[in-house]
Amino acid sequence: MASLPRRIIKETQRLLQEPVPGISAVPDENNARYFHVIVTGPEGSPFEGGLFKLELFLPEDYPMSAPKVRFITKIYHPNIDRLGRICLDILKDKWSPALQIRTVLLSIQALLSAPNPDDPLANDVAELWRVNEAEAIRNAKEWTRKYAMED
Amino acid sequence: MSSEECDSDMEYSDNDCCYADYYNTGNDCDIDQIDPSKIDPEFFIFECLSVEEVERLLNENVELLSSSLQITPSLAKVLLHTHGWAVQDLISKYRSDASLLLVQSRIKPPHPPSNSDGSSSHSSQSSLSSKDSLEEDENQKPCPVCVMLCNVEIFSSLACGHKFCKDCWTMHFEVQIIQGISTGMSCMAQQCDILAPEDFVLTLLNKPNLRDKYQQFVFHDYVKSHPQLRFCPGPNCQVLIHAKEPRAKRAVCTNCKTSFCFKCGMNYHAPTDCSTIKKWLTKCADDSETANYISAHTKDCPRCHICIEKNGGCNHMQCYSCKHEFCWMCLGDWKAHGSEYYECSRYKENPNIAHESVHAQAREALKKYLHYYERWENHSKSLKLEEQTLLTIKTRINQKVMNASGTWIDWQYLLDAAMLLAKCRYSLQYTYPYAYYMEPSSRKELFEYQQAQLEAEIENLSWKVERAETTDRGDLENQMDIAEKRRTTLLKDFLEV
Repeated sequence: MASLPRRIIKETQRLLQEPVPGISAVPDENNARYFHVIVTGPEGSPFEGGLFKLELFLPEDYPMSAPKVRFITKIYHPNIDRLGRICLDILKDKWSPALQIRTVLLSIQALLSAPNPDDPLANDVAELWRVNEAEAIRNAKEWTRKYAMED
Repeated sequence: MSSEECDSDMEYSDNDCCYADYYNTGNDCDIDQIDPSKIDPEFFIFECLSVEEVERLLNENVELLSSSLQITPSLAKVLLHTHGWAVQDLISKYRSDASLLLVQSRIKPPHPPSNSDGSSSHSSQSSLSSKDSLEEDENQKPCPVCVMLCNVEIFSSLACGHKFCKDCWTMHFEVQIIQGISTGMSCMAQQCDILAPEDFVLTLLNKPNLRDKYQQFVFHDYVKSHPQLRFCPGPNCQVLIHAKEPRAKRAVCTNCKTSFCFKCGMNYHAPTDCSTIKKWLTKCADDSETANYISAHTKDCPRCHICIEKNGGCNHMQCYSCKHEFCWMCLGDWKAHGSEYYECSRYKENPNIAHESVHAQAREALKKYLHYYERWENHSKSLKLEEQTLLTIKTRINQKVMNASGTWIDWQYLLDAAMLLAKCRYSLQYTYPYAYYMEPSSRKELFEYQQAQLEAEIENLSWKVERAETTDRGDLENQMDIAEKRRTTLLKDFLEV
């Protein structure tokens, strides 16, 4: 296995030593480029009280390319599709090598607080979010209870 | 005579210059001074250039701009690329507000750089590198991207002042070039969109294959951003088309003979405009299955009901079995088409449609679309069949000449007729998308009238071309002239320039 770039070592150390509130990111035992992530649903959002599992993978050319991030826990959100893929600009064209795992996860947490139905990934969810926000929020709360609050 | 006129002009010229101009611009101007675009609505000046010639052309612009503004050629390229290569426009913009232009062109940051650290905008990043503070000495500092301690000398930055180490810049560019990005490569700092000019990239890029790729992509981007240039859309063709006045007109590549619209690069589509033809082709791609299903490839003779497969381009059909002459499109008696009014190209809209049910409206919409689609598709098929006719004509001419009935020159007109037929039918094919998107109006009526006339003359021509056994040249040439006149008349009236 190729040696790990200093950048990844530094980021990992800091994630473990000074974790971001509400976010835990732990590297896999067998692959230091693969992180097991848990994001807690932000207070005041329909995801409050939920624990959302994500996977984060640093590709070979990280940080020149963005990390690959996906929700594993099912979530009812206009910018996250059925497969857990996330529609977030900094994971795509707005990626900058100066961004980090930490900043990416913070942005994802912020996305939970502020869904953006005008730039949808899950079309049906976004549609409901636009026409009937109250019902959409009810659905999101129910999904949180159902899928993100087990054990 | 002409010298006398010339002399008298000279005599009077100092009396009244306006008077002299009046005569010079008017009646006695030479035939070759008439603006050809006024006679031929499809007139278009363009040239086919090689990659080297285009590079020279672009470099002339770069040099002109860099010398008049006193900026590096590399920056001039960024400006030209972001402003559609409008040199004079750039010069005046630069002279009125250079700073604004540079900010808008993503060359200069909107605010002067304060901190030299590429990550100064967010605290989390700086704390990541500050871990190394103990190891730091004066000449070394960590790169915000790789967090390696590097000698300050190997840091570099764009005008925004975000400094990163050489290796990170190189890797950043390499990853972007592999993704096909070239002129769009920017600074690595978060939310900084300052563009990396060519010289900056090339000093950092070492791998020869990536340098080649980068320069190739950059050239491609330059051509794409240049309104007067277009790559020939022919497969594997390296030619570039240059037109001083870019228009939606027919350009033909001298190398691969591909003919296309200069503006959109699609097949030439007069009298329909670029956006309409795109809409039409998308619609056809969506609906063609239904249309194919509904319009069968064969039709029955309206008189004897024998099954007929169309084997030529002409829509003036004659049944092999009963010799009945009819129109392939409407199955009506050919004689009824007359010479004046060819009704079958016109779609008759149901006037009461607004009062019908949604279902009936949908049916009507489909019917309307199919009407135009069938005719569009039919002419496209006819064009292909007439290509075969052209081959038959060639062999027939060969036989005739070999049998000493006429010389090569005598038969040449028949080839010309076949070519003209193809040209006319092509234009006719492209009148159908135009008509489909026209709102019912008197203009549409005029259009469909002219279209019908063109249709009639083309079928006459096609009929004559397919049957020209004797050298009845006069008749055919007459028909050619009529058909072409109908075509140019329609284009003159409806082709938007």
